[in-house]
Amino acid sequence: MAGSNEVNLNECKMVVPLNTWVLISNFKLAYNLLRRPDGTFNRHLAEFLDRKVLANANPVDGVFSFDVIIDRGTNLLSRIYRPATAEEPQPNIFELAKPVTAEVVPVIIFFHGGSFAHSSANSAIYDTLCRRLVVICKAVVVSVNYRRAPENRYPCAYDDGWTALKWVNSRSWLQSQKDSKVHIYLAGDSSGGNIVHHVAARAIESGINVLGNILLNPMFGGQERTESEKHLDGKYFVTLQDRDWYWRAFLPEGADRDHPACNPFGPNGRSLEGIKFPKSLVVVAGLDLIQDWQLAYVEGLKKAGQEVKLLYLEQATIGFYLLPNNNHFHTVMGEISIFVSSNR
Amino acid sequence: MVLCDFATSMGSSSGSSSSSSSKPLPSPQQQDIDGLLAGAGYKVRSSELLQVAQRLERLENAMGNSPADFSQLATDAIHYNPSDLGSWVDSLLSEFVQPSTCPSEVIMDPVPNQAVVSNAWTTAEPQNPQVHQNICYEQQSLNNQLTVVTATEEDSGIRLVHMLMTCADCVQRGDLSLATSLIDDMKGLLTRVNTVCGIGKVAGHFIDALSGRIYQGIGGGSVNGGSVLENEILYHHFYEACPYLKFAHFTANQAILEAFEGHDCVHVVDFNLMHGLQWPALIQALALRPDGPPLLRLTGIGPPSPDGRDSLREIGLRLAELARSVNIRFFFRGVAASRLEDVKPWMLRVNPKEAVAVNSIMQLHRLLGSEPTRNYPIETVLSWIRSLNPKIMTVVEQEANHNQPLFLDRFTEALYYYSTMFDSLEACTVQPEKALAEIYIQREIANVVSCEGSARVERHEPLAKWRTRLSAAGFKPLHLGSNAFKQASMLLTLFSAEGYSVEENEGCLTLGWHSRPLIAASAWHAVPDASAEFPAWDNQQSS
Repeated sequence: MAGSNEVNLNECKMVVPLNTWVLISNFKLAYNLLRRPDGTFNRHLAEFLDRKVLANANPVDGVFSFDVIIDRGTNLLSRIYRPATAEEPQPNIFELAKPVTAEVVPVIIFFHGGSFAHSSANSAIYDTLCRRLVVICKAVVVSVNYRRAPENRYPCAYDDGWTALKWVNSRSWLQSQKDSKVHIYLAGDSSGGNIVHHVAARAIESGINVLGNILLNPMFGGQERTESEKHLDGKYFVTLQDRDWYWRAFLPEGADRDHPACNPFGPNGRSLEGIKFPKSLVVVAGLDLIQDWQLAYVEGLKKAGQEVKLLYLEQATIGFYLLPNNNHFHTVMGEISIFVSSNR
Repeated sequence: MVLCDFATSMGSSSGSSSSSSSKPLPSPQQQDIDGLLAGAGYKVRSSELLQVAQRLERLENAMGNSPADFSQLATDAIHYNPSDLGSWVDSLLSEFVQPSTCPSEVIMDPVPNQAVVSNAWTTAEPQNPQVHQNICYEQQSLNNQLTVVTATEEDSGIRLVHMLMTCADCVQRGDLSLATSLIDDMKGLLTRVNTVCGIGKVAGHFIDALSGRIYQGIGGGSVNGGSVLENEILYHHFYEACPYLKFAHFTANQAILEAFEGHDCVHVVDFNLMHGLQWPALIQALALRPDGPPLLRLTGIGPPSPDGRDSLREIGLRLAELARSVNIRFFFRGVAASRLEDVKPWMLRVNPKEAVAVNSIMQLHRLLGSEPTRNYPIETVLSWIRSLNPKIMTVVEQEANHNQPLFLDRFTEALYYYSTMFDSLEACTVQPEKALAEIYIQREIANVVSCEGSARVERHEPLAKWRTRLSAAGFKPLHLGSNAFKQASMLLTLFSAEGYSVEENEGCLTLGWHSRPLIAASAWHAVPDASAEFPAWDNQQSS
């Protein structure tokens, strides 16, 4: 209705800076054009509208990047970001895969957001975010260009995440000097956060040691309609209707939202009690309509005796971490930096 | 932050905010671009941010109020240049009919509500001083871009690349004896590397090209460019083996077709006719025009045939035959010239009443030189193109920086560009197309690496540089939209392996392998020049 629309727009204008509002509203608008009522997705228009950037093997602001085809079979690409070191501000271009020199270097495998359907590893917003992570955490970041829904449903994204984890773990040039092992952290926002959980879960019996999970506004859900979903529907850029669409696009045909991919601690979920699961840092935005599911996830980890830190940001909306123009951004980056350095 | 030029200031590329002396300072207009949105890929002036926000809000309300129009918008609208967020939003707004019955809360009266609206937004948090802001958007990727896409390689592959770079560095420094011994070592290493695909294959070509360059320097023979006939055959196989040329032709034809709408007399000037592979599709599309086909004139430029054949004429005859079969009045003219700069506009016999399309598929770079200060043929040619007042000029170029002043920079860029291109060629299984396509590419490599001066014609420059150059020459972009993008993407799905991708770049389209664009297509039209009324016959010299 026109009336409630106006109220909604006014509310979200109050809580974000102007350029953030423009950016996220632009995405909201564009994404509305891409989702079709019949469940199909206008992929051509999506790729046309998505702003992408090239990798750059020459350092920019102390970070250089290059793309690697990790798996030819699925055309899985990842973008690797590395810090340009003080001794070699201009890296030898032919030694992109030169061994890391520090005693301990965190390697963050990053899964971009987009509700399983949007964005890519080379989307400008995510390229920028990954570069910031490198500088703030003094880490190597590997951003995975996983296959997206609805063309590639569950479990493709998880399979790709798993492939990337195995690949990173087996790179001798990513091993920290201290123990000749790769110090791996998994990180992701929105659907990327969801992927982090499931890849970590898959890694459990494998012998691959994941040191920590970082979930930024992770995408979880369930059949039940929670208070936050009812209360915040349509108020801060996101509607329940669009959330439902993305789950229908990602989950297997006929599955409901209590499928364990969507609701890992729900009725069809798997208990992690007694299992060696990485410590987790979960960031929840107080104006995100799915926060009740995110908080339930944190509870689920706690109940299973897993180590988890919750960072609840009262006035934050989705996407607050895309631009460094707010205190939440700096708070979160600081926490992430501490999280990946506590094993040094 | 202004990026430092790679070649001139080693060691100062990280964290510095000083501007490089070799780059002009950004104009006040450019400086006003919101740096954070620029990092997200959008160009919005800070001074216009509020306006853009208001228009977004209007659009949102309009969409909410008429869902039926909205779903039509989703399917039918053609989108252009999404980086220019303001215009994109405006173009969507204009798709909606704005009746006078719009509810009052939707329309914002500019003056009275301004104060109310601006209070509804919080002021931006003070920006963290360590975060780089006001990135000069225009200059971001001009000189410092080096895009590398690799498949994981074994150690000897990496060693080979290392040696190639060292050898190229020796060549640049003039240490030819060390370079020669490196060549021998590399040839030895090649025997232990898989040369059927990947880095081994492209390394072999680069070793040969370096060899060629060294021995020229020592007084050996010059690199042979190949006969006209050979080049045509190689070109044709390159066309078949991979989608780059098909993409170029297809995209250019789309744009030309649109530019010709409503015109009854049209004239296409093709800067490199080859076998005329591009034109049957355009002829057929013109035949199917709803308001009837135009009279089509095609002027094809190409090198003179050495053996007395008139290959241009032969191709013209074949095209004429096709045109006849679809009832299009068609006239062909061949202009034989060994070099594009030898062509004079009067040879093209352009009629002032015709709608002219100038089509350049990988030709303009041949007109460039090495030193920025001297006048090269590009200026003359662009000038007479403009004097023809074309409705459209379609330009397709290799998306690479192979004309940098320092040899090592060119070499490095070429190594990564051509390994990506060779990698894409792996997907082709048809022979002899694949083998001959590889020779075609190998010839390009040889020219980039071993030639200098006027012999070095493969002087590829990236889109950003062409934009600057063409704007300076009086051309304005004609944006390629989402419809062209969609059709190009669909063409790829039909005819090529997975791994190719089409991308939109500020009104232009690029085709690449994985995330690396390899070829860029753009369209332009001349800014009207009042002084040139009957350009074709009067311009015997550049203006």
